[in-house]
Amino acid sequence: MEFKDYYQTLGVAREATADEIKKAFRRLARKYHPDVSKEKNAEARMKEVNEAYAVLSDPEKRAAYDQLGANYQAGQDFRPPPNWDAGFEFSGREFGGGGGADFSDFFAELFGRSRAGPGRGESARFNIRGEDRHAKILIALEDAYQGASRVLTLRVPAVDDQGHVTMKEHSLNVRIPKGVQEGQVLRLAGQGSPGIGEGKSGDLYLEIHFEPHPRFRVDGRDVYATLRVAPWEAALGASVKASLPVGAVEVRIPPNSQNGRNLRLKGRGIPAATPGDLYLVLEVVLPKADNPKARELYEAMARELAFDPRGSES
Amino acid sequence: MTHELTAMLLDETLLRLDELASSCTVTREWVIEHVRAGVLLETAGPDPTGWTFTSRDLIRAKQLCSLERQFEANPELAGLVADLFEELDRLRARLRREGLSLE
Repeated sequence: MEFKDYYQTLGVAREATADEIKKAFRRLARKYHPDVSKEKNAEARMKEVNEAYAVLSDPEKRAAYDQLGANYQAGQDFRPPPNWDAGFEFSGREFGGGGGADFSDFFAELFGRSRAGPGRGESARFNIRGEDRHAKILIALEDAYQGASRVLTLRVPAVDDQGHVTMKEHSLNVRIPKGVQEGQVLRLAGQGSPGIGEGKSGDLYLEIHFEPHPRFRVDGRDVYATLRVAPWEAALGASVKASLPVGAVEVRIPPNSQNGRNLRLKGRGIPAATPGDLYLVLEVVLPKADNPKARELYEAMARELAFDPRGSES
Repeated sequence: MTHELTAMLLDETLLRLDELASSCTVTREWVIEHVRAGVLLETAGPDPTGWTFTSRDLIRAKQLCSLERQFEANPELAGLVADLFEELDRLRARLRREGLSLE
């Protein structure tokens, strides 16, 4: 296990005041906020910053960490000595609130004692429900149409008989129902953190996000795609084949369609009790005038149609 | 590997007050305060035990909670920032629909 230099993470000196630590945390929390940050790995960096702040903003944790960490450098191989924390008392509430289950093995090793859990040598006298867990999951648009199975690997805190917490990997085989939309949340009862004593496990919440699709774009329940057509198909009307996220349909293009026209396929968006619609946005593609016949046809149109696309501008 | 677990769509079952509070690791009083302040749950009746919360409410409650913890924001300021995040999401979705992106 590598030693983590929490001072380095927050960019403050070891002798920084509580106020300086708070200011540094807020600056970084703004910089790496996952909703607005354009930094690479913003979410991972935010987790590191949160973890560092959870230790350095708590006077007792900070004091214990300082006593332990004075001789270590960031990245150095690290094992905490036995009874390293003698004389310090932590609430361990990071594993009972505020997303502490996302913290590193290093944090779990140092401060991972279950909230309200038994102290060393005591027997468990509490029954507390486990913490709910939250995760994001990326699925393909096709999965929203058909449903899908996914294997998820989560790191969950496990509490031993002494009330000490370690992080363990936990794999789940999850059936994602069809009809899910971007930003919706799935709930898996009893798949969160384990309870303490006879307390029930918490629940797992999965926030759905779609992988970018090369052809389809999603807005809520509705799905959009560009359909490229020839000028004569747009002008005269035509029946063309259009592929959908699942399957394909024959689409009738009405005569006199202009570039950018939306053709709505009702109910062909993401399935639901009220399914979304699928919109095909027409893109008229012009053949090149790169041979005598093509030029002749364009010239005939120019001569005989008397068409001025900028007529209303003059 | 465990057997296949079926995930339930939260918007079909919804969360009750205590479930939302537990899920965000806040007290039920925190949730009631934020609903009463008008920053959580668009329409709420007088009785908190009758309130139900959607996926959007859960994500928003987590955002509010995180903003208040990280920046010591009051509920109204956290609500304003959460409103801006939601507007940003809508605009990003609109750009995606047009085949464009902010990046």
